Amino acid sequence: MLNFVVRRLLAILPVLLAVSLLTFLIASLLPGDLAFVILGDQATPENVAALRHDMGLDQPIWWRYLSWLGHVLQGDLGRSFRTGQTVLQAVSERIPVSLELMLMAEFIGLLIGVPLAIACAARAGGAFDRFMTGSAFAMLSMPSFLMAILLIYLFAVELHWLPATGYVPFTEEPLANLRFFVLPALTLALAEWPGIMRVLRSDMIATLQEDYIALAKAKGLKPSRILFVHALKPSSLTLVTVTGINIGRLLGGTLIVESIFALPGIGRLLVGAIYTRDLVILQGVVLLVACGFVIVNFIVDMLYAVLDPRIRHGHA
Amino acid sequence: MTNIAAAACKRAPIFLVAAFAFLPLAHPVQAQKAGGSITVGQELDIPGFDPLKVGVFDSSGYTAAALIFDTLTTLDDKGEAAPKLAESWTHSDDYKSWTFKLRKGVKFHDGTPFNAEAFKANFDRQKDPANKCRCAFYITTVKEVLAPDEYTIVYNLSDPSVNLPATMSIQSTNNVVQSPTAWKTKGDDYNRNPVGTGPYILKSWTAGDRMVLEKNPDYWNKGHPYLDRIVLKPLPDAQSRFASLQSGEVDIIWDDENDSDNILKAQKDSKLTVHTYKGSGAQVYAFNTKVAPFDDVRVRQALVMSIDRPKMSQAISNGLSRPATNPYGDGSWVKCKDDGALPYDLEKAKALLKDYGKPVDFKMLATATPRGRVIGQVLQQFWKRAGANMEIDQVDQATIPSRAFSRQFQLTPWRIVDLADPDPQMYANFRTGSPVALAGFSNPELDKLLDHSRVTADVAQRTEDYCAISRLINKEAIWFWTFQNTYYALSSARLKGFPKIYNGVIDVSNTWLE
Repeated sequence: MLNFVVRRLLAILPVLLAVSLLTFLIASLLPGDLAFVILGDQATPENVAALRHDMGLDQPIWWRYLSWLGHVLQGDLGRSFRTGQTVLQAVSERIPVSLELMLMAEFIGLLIGVPLAIACAARAGGAFDRFMTGSAFAMLSMPSFLMAILLIYLFAVELHWLPATGYVPFTEEPLANLRFFVLPALTLALAEWPGIMRVLRSDMIATLQEDYIALAKAKGLKPSRILFVHALKPSSLTLVTVTGINIGRLLGGTLIVESIFALPGIGRLLVGAIYTRDLVILQGVVLLVACGFVIVNFIVDMLYAVLDPRIRHGHA
Repeated sequence: MTNIAAAACKRAPIFLVAAFAFLPLAHPVQAQKAGGSITVGQELDIPGFDPLKVGVFDSSGYTAAALIFDTLTTLDDKGEAAPKLAESWTHSDDYKSWTFKLRKGVKFHDGTPFNAEAFKANFDRQKDPANKCRCAFYITTVKEVLAPDEYTIVYNLSDPSVNLPATMSIQSTNNVVQSPTAWKTKGDDYNRNPVGTGPYILKSWTAGDRMVLEKNPDYWNKGHPYLDRIVLKPLPDAQSRFASLQSGEVDIIWDDENDSDNILKAQKDSKLTVHTYKGSGAQVYAFNTKVAPFDDVRVRQALVMSIDRPKMSQAISNGLSRPATNPYGDGSWVKCKDDGALPYDLEKAKALLKDYGKPVDFKMLATATPRGRVIGQVLQQFWKRAGANMEIDQVDQATIPSRAFSRQFQLTPWRIVDLADPDPQMYANFRTGSPVALAGFSNPELDKLLDHSRVTADVAQRTEDYCAISRLINKEAIWFWTFQNTYYALSSARLKGFPKIYNGVIDVSNTWLE
């Protein structure tokens, strides 16, 4: 197992390097001059030239990348030129919000998706299965911003059950905090459960056709025991992968959802950085998020190996 | 005559305003209630308050600045300069020197006394070239600020400015007064820990979430402010911002004609109030007259004459946008009997282009936003009907100024903002040699009018100058105006005392809840 972990860790390094290069290039190749953005509308050419020099913008791009990477490796991701905050400060302030949102969304998604998948697989091809598969497809094609607006109008404007926008930290008012998270997490979860359901459903249908299930049936075990104890674990391999990938994908979803529900998370930070062309924040956040994604995938790989020993021995 | 007497004669007081100093700031005659708390839904996160860091405020920064800081002057309900931190002012004959008498006994939130020295320190810090402040551009015409005694400051200008007190009323980084002790002791942290003399004190601020401001118990204007607490919240999405107002989570939001649906909905909702301010200024466009085809006046006139503004207003804002025929707008004191506007006349436009003889193909800059695209497409259609082909060049908002200043455009959108006096913007936009004179058009008559209007005190004479300027620009069609600036705020009907939205600033410092 240790050998496997080390092998996977070594494989991550070039990925992380590629991520850093791409992140740097994206931010550097965006149109518009950073010096112009900082100095504003009324900058004179001399001021712009001087600032470009101060910031090293007149150096060749490979030199700028190496010097940036050098700083990053020492833990210095730079400072926002708008607020003076360091990237790490800004991200550490925002990350609990995004994590809470993503975990809650994934939790609600699993809460809806897993039981539905089991119910569908139990009677595959039946009326309920066909109805749910159809609904899942309809749900997948619904854009999240539309879903968000619909939920806001229904639960905040019309029914007054939940707040439309806002946030309080969990440590201040736990109950209010959860209330603020219900609608945004539900928005994301409603796009999550169809994927979860479809993957688990088809895996379970395959598992239920295996010989040992037939044996279990022949032994006279209760159908619920067969479903939850004997079939669920071996069927959840793909689900673990999907859940892992979902967490990365959810980060993309938070861009829209955090803006709509005014949650002060990473997504909002990123959108704000794009609007104000705060390239230092943009670069730093994209890099951290990409690294986060790589690490989540690494953890998924490890989980995989735990769930199915054939993988860590390189047989599958 | 002694020197002092000579100086006194030179500085003819035009605003005898000392008497007003003892009156509370202008507010409508309604019963105000003290106490309570409101939440303001803003469009953007506030980056901070230190001019050296943020350069200039955006719309959200202005609202917060109006609560935390004071300016020397304010605008009364008629749009004229009234005392705030300055109690009275006088000027020299040539309007190049202004003397302000400061209010006594005012203290910053950290206990630092407000006086001429504190004010001068604010100015010097922004002006110092070593500090490289973006804010310095806007005070380039101020040569120096002197503090001859504790409660007097003198502005010495390089160009005349007849309406300086009014233009200083905006809560911009240049005009709000910040505590020198605070920025000296807090250093880098000052940006997020601002200290002013204003009616509210910053209590807490969570980045991206909320800024909580509490009533300043020692505010110099006794009996003010009314509300105990004001919370500013960035709500970037226009739809959810409006939904939050409808569901009662916020009490007032900023809005504009982009969201005409919401404005129309709010007008029909008895629980909401729509505050509209018809400001000065306009949405404008500049032709680059140095490049073909716009080096020919016939082409410029033809394009201006083929724009049907009422139809365009309907297309982009459900008819809320108000057509403009000059750069001043209904909110300005400049009222022209004849501004020389070219009429909408498609046949004449076609004839002019035919007369020009060559095909008219050009590119227009537009912002890379849905609104920028729609406006571009509407104009494209008008001009196509007249026989001209326009290609929309959609660029990032931040790219437009750099393209405009380096003259890399044929036609660019621009804006004349709501200011108490047309001089600063008109002079910069049209005087020969100004770096912002985007059209690249030079005309001695225009220069003469611009020079004359800024040294004349007589309002009627200045009005005549500005109308003549408008006639000249309209005739030469070097710029054109589409719509006047209108500012909107939507609030709960319980919120009272909301003033005019001067300069587009949502100023809730003097409001109360019914």
